[in-house]
Amino acid sequence: MQSLEKRNTAGSKISNLTFVNLAMLCVLAVIFIIASLVVPRFFNINNISNLIAQQAEIIILSIGVTFLLISGYFDMSVGGIISMAAVLSAFFCQAQGAAASDLGSGLGLSYGMAIVLTLICCMVIGALNAFLVVKLKVNSVIATLGTMALARGIAMIVAKGAQRITGLPPEFKAIGQFTIIGTINLAVVIMLVLLVAALVIENMTVFGRRIYLIGANRVAAHLSGIKVGKQISLLYVVSAFLAGVAGIVMASRFNAGNCALGTGYEFDALVVTVLGGTSIFGGFGSVTCAVVGAFILGILSTSVNMLGFQPSMQMLVKGFVIITAILALRFALDKRNV
Amino acid sequence: MSDNVLEIKNLTKVFPGVRAIDDVSFDIRRNTVHCLVGENGAGKSTLIKILTGAYARTSGTILLNGEEYAAHNPKEAKNKGISTLFQELNVVDQLTVEENLTLGIEDTKFGFLQKSVKIKKMLEVLKSIEPSINPKQKVGRLSVAKKQIIEIAKAVASEADIIIMDEPTAAISEGEIRRLFKIIKNLREKNVTVIYISHRLDEIFELGDNVTVMRDGKHIETKPVAEVKDRSELIRMMIGKTVIESYIPKDTKSQEILFEVKGISNSKLHDISFDVKKGEIVGFYGLVGAGKTELARAVYGADKYDGEIIFKGSKLGDTPSKAIKAGIVLVPEERRTEGVFTILTIRENIPIMNMGKISKAGFLNNAKERKIAGEYIKKLNIVTSSMEKETAKLSGGNQQKVVFSKCLFADADLLILDEPTRGIDVGAKGEIYSIIRQLSNEGKSIMMFSSELPEIINNCDRIFLLYDGRVKAEIENGTDINGEMIIHIVTGGE
Repeated sequence: MQSLEKRNTAGSKISNLTFVNLAMLCVLAVIFIIASLVVPRFFNINNISNLIAQQAEIIILSIGVTFLLISGYFDMSVGGIISMAAVLSAFFCQAQGAAASDLGSGLGLSYGMAIVLTLICCMVIGALNAFLVVKLKVNSVIATLGTMALARGIAMIVAKGAQRITGLPPEFKAIGQFTIIGTINLAVVIMLVLLVAALVIENMTVFGRRIYLIGANRVAAHLSGIKVGKQISLLYVVSAFLAGVAGIVMASRFNAGNCALGTGYEFDALVVTVLGGTSIFGGFGSVTCAVVGAFILGILSTSVNMLGFQPSMQMLVKGFVIITAILALRFALDKRNV
Repeated sequence: MSDNVLEIKNLTKVFPGVRAIDDVSFDIRRNTVHCLVGENGAGKSTLIKILTGAYARTSGTILLNGEEYAAHNPKEAKNKGISTLFQELNVVDQLTVEENLTLGIEDTKFGFLQKSVKIKKMLEVLKSIEPSINPKQKVGRLSVAKKQIIEIAKAVASEADIIIMDEPTAAISEGEIRRLFKIIKNLREKNVTVIYISHRLDEIFELGDNVTVMRDGKHIETKPVAEVKDRSELIRMMIGKTVIESYIPKDTKSQEILFEVKGISNSKLHDISFDVKKGEIVGFYGLVGAGKTELARAVYGADKYDGEIIFKGSKLGDTPSKAIKAGIVLVPEERRTEGVFTILTIRENIPIMNMGKISKAGFLNNAKERKIAGEYIKKLNIVTSSMEKETAKLSGGNQQKVVFSKCLFADADLLILDEPTRGIDVGAKGEIYSIIRQLSNEGKSIMMFSSELPEIINNCDRIFLLYDGRVKAEIENGTDINGEMIIHIVTGGE
């Protein structure tokens, strides 16, 4: 009993957020060590660089999702925005009327122009989210599930339910396939840049502080003069922009504008964010939580895959570990805050 | 059976630092309307909460029909025969009248609902009380008064001995009040005793058989209403002797008008006008439902209003952020849900209303933030082990000092204080009063909304009395201030 009290007082010198970050980092380390020992060929430079590259898109995505979640809002539209961005980025730069089929010909713009236009379209979806949630006061889960379907619908129409793959300019695959070391590609670099920017915003700016204030107490934030609606609107547009970036990167990696890309990513983004310790009740969390969460999920997926589990079993194991991790976190926090 | 349906003996309830109910004893006679009156904080609500099972008593006995009574929750209280008509009505808008009546006591057979004798009985009771309500109607379409009648019918049909009514007329129209009174008077024929709580004293004389007056947690008097001479006798019992303990009139009064409200109205406020001078402490006093919080929120821009507000010579914007920019801050009524950010630290709470002062080009200056947090903790004497403590872990008084720190850091010229000392201990109250006075001496203007008369009389230079969303009177504070007259006005007298 006494030793527990001692630990509590010693622990209270660091904030709850640091505590959670450290705790989940330990979980990540333990899972990494176990995977290295148990899974054959896991601890190998190729595999690990693969692992990092695979997390790039989900981490880019989860920056916006995390910010909104800390403010107490959900963004479920990101999965749909990914597929829309993937298909549109292909459609805009496919050669004009080059192929016989409709799917082979696009607008024939430069790839750079295509990226800009795609991101603008994504931000329009973000603005629509903001309008529904902030102005019309629709519950954020429902509103963004609606816009997710909308964005995916656009992707399916433009890709005719399939993918746009012919007539793409050679630059199209550059982001996803240009490698630095092993499989560390340009996507990883983009992820790192965005991550650093997100951490700076989160910890060092007034904008970042407001994200926490709104999540901690929206009513008090409003009465303290914070323009809650404006801030949330901006976050939705940023989140849609980041989802667009993720979609463009993904399309580049597959060298195709496939409308099936990004399916289920809205849930993955939410899972890695919450898995890392961000609270779904708002006011608490960090982008670092999402990074740690993404790697925990990544190692787990890779391991069960490499151990030769059936896909159905993989799903089961994933579900089990996620629930365990979240419960353990809750338990640790409760113990600490007695 | 004894004549008394309820006997309360030596009932005491102690909260940390307060005796909310102090050795209270009185009886309630069967099949009467028994009124309970007293100022805010007299102990009425605590007493009701003990009867309905929301609070546990510290000591004392309650006998219901001569038997020891205790309840742990409202449902248990109901089963034992005490039903309550809360201000927040307990009906489901989406269901029909009939479904509401049987909610929670439905008869089922293999999981299917059954039409039963219970429903028939319920409907008969409802019909005998108010024939105009159609049982198939959705409750959401009914007025507040009719919803109350449904709850009364439910209580009567479930053979309640006592129905407690807490300010039932606060939200209903004059015509509906008449109808409700008729129903209440008829309830004694149905073998029901009513405990009636209201701030509107005229209602007591119209409705009550007996009245119990409470003050500062103590029982003052229980007697038949017929033996109470008039309103002023009741008021005298309610407030006792109001003494002006510490109001000191200012020697020099500024005549410069800082803030001027010209005829603002909304759904809760009716054509309110007043002004606040530089360095002045203006009090707004009224009872529950008089519109205090509504007025505080409206002038701050937190609620919509029609009309015009002039601050420092120009028209004031209609959002809190515009008010803060202009130099007005609000200490809100609900400290925990509207004032502090409980899951954040003291350091993070203090600069919120004026982030520009601790940042440059949008980037936070952490060293400055810590320095300022330290200064305010010292200046307002916030008791804490560290500025990194979550505000949730502070006492009510210290949380309120954090809210004051927030407001002071915003460098405002006008502070709107809504119930600034509610729920905090005596020591912290005193500290808050001295902060308020110091601010006034520094030339800041204060608008203080309170439901505690001594607080208003001891601190304010000028007092506005509110009743039913209107300003009923304006009083210059001084030694000749008359507490009885004030209570007379805020309880609806002319």
